[in-house]
Amino acid sequence: MTDPQTENSNAPKPRPRRHFSLDDSQADNAKHPDIDTETPLRGTRRFDEQTAHQPLETTPSDQKALPEETLSAPRKRRWGLIFSLAGVAALGSAELVSGIPVALEQARWLDAAWQLFGLGLIGFGAVSLLREVMRLKRLKHHDKLREALAELPQRSPRQAMQQADTLRRQLKLSDDDPHWQAFQQASQPHHSSADIMTLLNYHLLAPRDREAQRLISRMSGETAIMVAVSPLTLVDMALVAWRSLAMINRLCRLYGLELSYIGRLKLFRSVLNQMVFAGASELATDAGMDMLSLDVAGRLSARASQGLATGLLSARLGLRAQRLCRPLAFTPEQQPRMADLRQDLWHQIRHLDTQQTPSSAP
Amino acid sequence: MKAPFNRERLGRELTNLMERTRDRQFRLAVTGLSQAGKTAFLTSLVNQLRHAGLDAQLDLLPAAREGRLLGAQRLPQPDMGVPRFPYDAALSALNANPPCWPDATRGISELRLQLRYRPAQRGWLAPELNHLTLDLFDYPGEWLLDLPMLNHDFDSWCQAQTEHKGVHRQALFTAWQAGVEELDPAAEADETQLTELAAAYADGLKQAKQAGFSDLQPGRFLLPGELDGAPVLQFFPLPDIGLSTEQRQALPETSVYATLAKRFRYYQQHVVKPFYRDHFRRFDRQIVLVDVLGALNAGPERFEDLSRALQQLMHSFDYGQRSLLTRLFSPRIDRLAIAATKADHVTPDQHGNLVRLLEALLAEPLKDLRFADIPVKALSLAAIRATQAREVNQQGQRLTALYGTTLEGEDVLIYPGDVPARLPEEHFWQQQGFDFPHFRPMASSDQALAHIRMDAALDWLLGDKLA
Repeated sequence: MTDPQTENSNAPKPRPRRHFSLDDSQADNAKHPDIDTETPLRGTRRFDEQTAHQPLETTPSDQKALPEETLSAPRKRRWGLIFSLAGVAALGSAELVSGIPVALEQARWLDAAWQLFGLGLIGFGAVSLLREVMRLKRLKHHDKLREALAELPQRSPRQAMQQADTLRRQLKLSDDDPHWQAFQQASQPHHSSADIMTLLNYHLLAPRDREAQRLISRMSGETAIMVAVSPLTLVDMALVAWRSLAMINRLCRLYGLELSYIGRLKLFRSVLNQMVFAGASELATDAGMDMLSLDVAGRLSARASQGLATGLLSARLGLRAQRLCRPLAFTPEQQPRMADLRQDLWHQIRHLDTQQTPSSAP
Repeated sequence: MKAPFNRERLGRELTNLMERTRDRQFRLAVTGLSQAGKTAFLTSLVNQLRHAGLDAQLDLLPAAREGRLLGAQRLPQPDMGVPRFPYDAALSALNANPPCWPDATRGISELRLQLRYRPAQRGWLAPELNHLTLDLFDYPGEWLLDLPMLNHDFDSWCQAQTEHKGVHRQALFTAWQAGVEELDPAAEADETQLTELAAAYADGLKQAKQAGFSDLQPGRFLLPGELDGAPVLQFFPLPDIGLSTEQRQALPETSVYATLAKRFRYYQQHVVKPFYRDHFRRFDRQIVLVDVLGALNAGPERFEDLSRALQQLMHSFDYGQRSLLTRLFSPRIDRLAIAATKADHVTPDQHGNLVRLLEALLAEPLKDLRFADIPVKALSLAAIRATQAREVNQQGQRLTALYGTTLEGEDVLIYPGDVPARLPEEHFWQQQGFDFPHFRPMASSDQALAHIRMDAALDWLLGDKLA
């Protein structure tokens, strides 16, 4: 409105009413001849009043300025390494295979066994390598889906519905699953993609969230109890590692998405921290109990508190894992809080405490 | 005889006060000029809330989506002297065969609605069931434009009225214009002449209304109600008086100028002020309904006119943050929705443009609201959906279209045209213009009325109270 001569050239005119058909083709902007000239120092040049012109085009940036992509080390294929590895594997297996008939002929059973063993090793290695590659591929796919879901509000409603279908398949919901049916019933043609996201959150993910919450509270409660009753530091640490990793895997399975590499690393670091905590707190409890020369009940409650602390840490790890696994990010009010889990945990430990005290009192 | 009435009234006032203290009573302002869809909005609102626990499609309202909203019931209204909102009449019009839109509102009516819901969080003190009282209020949109007149005196009002310079609008007032130019403000007032001129002015206003203009003052000239023929309705603005303030003050009591000014003041004090005082002061939330498509159909001059009318109108409401004290003694609007109504008359992919156009229309008031830190949400809605969104496959292209019945009773499948994201240039109107069709409501059985984004509007206006 302010500047008609610049706006006119590219503002699409509102289309008229049309029965049955509408035309999506936009009037192509006429190609304008380049005005660049190759002279070293250009003088003033006045353009004709009639010359068509368009807004100055800013250079489009195809790359995203996401820190992960810009900060990570440049990708380099190590052809030399791949070549030598493949060569060694191929030549080694060829040699082993060719060696077997000779060994059998000469009845050198031990040699044959070694050769078979070597072949088996190579086979195992190849299989696990392949599996890892497949896994990386899947991971990449999941990362892509997660990115697409995060950008959902900017997409058109049609694309949002396609993403919703992808998410449904990822969550392994069938077409006539009640949750999916409820989602389809709720969605209307006039819903924007942000509305679709809200409904997806509610109909598809909220049930999983509740499930995840239950899982975290149960598994961290179990960890707490195991740590509380286990007598040895090393056993504590092993228990924590085992239970935490199991919890992360089960959460991932629940949301149907695998963790990204960075997410996995982060979580693994907290698992290590937790193991250290379990070990250190075990030692500290032992030393403290000896110093204070507590009676049996006191020892038990000290152990229970150690268990509770470990359980809380594990619940926190669970919540972090949930946040990282969930295909759509939590909205601030949806975000599950520690406070809900603490109550549960405390109940479980108390339950244990009251059960144990009478039996050990006499 | 007086005492029991008073006791009853005191009890009622006390209950109201208690409810307001607990923030369980709520007054919603449904603001819109005539034909903006106020009655349809109110009918649909009551209908959706009545059906909330059952078959209403309110998925964008969390309380309803989670099954916590149990429904609503109409309560006896606080003011016995005001007619009840004719919900049943409106509904039977919609259920008639063939269905038709509810009649235009010709007077004030009120409605009190009680909502029951389960609170989302159960605490020590939170009850299992909670309620919220919603006071709603319907009135003719023509009268709404009287509110800005309260900010004027006769001189400034005359000044404001001369600002309508559009060609089309001027043309409608030629009869009155010719008469008023011969009129000498200082002359002795001739009653018959004034009556004739006022009639001509009222006639001009009515024609302007027919032609799609919105900024029409005074509103009672269009819909006099009980004031038909009273002298208070026999005034009009005097363009170009050409006298200084002192000279005007010095004019005798019986002069044309003084008579008109007196009637203007009377109209202000005895017609507009009570209307404002009784119905427009105590609001907690507001929704402004605007018929953007109608304005587009009518052309650029009417569009500007609507924009100006809405801009004036928004000054008549109190906006500000609420606290316990202001809630009790001087309620203010702390949240606002602006809605482009009749969104079902365009295809869903055009809703974004419709909202942008609405924001362009209300650009000035939105700046003020932003400055006052009042959260505003712009949305496009259809309180009662009259069409279905369809898809047409033609020549390998997938096109959206609307399926509905026009007011004439013809079933059509139509693409109504694009909505511009901002007001097009003048020459566009000369070449093409807009012609969005009108539809009649879909036949509905006893189900909840179909709608577009009523749930989003309800969530914005009431959602935080239903938590």
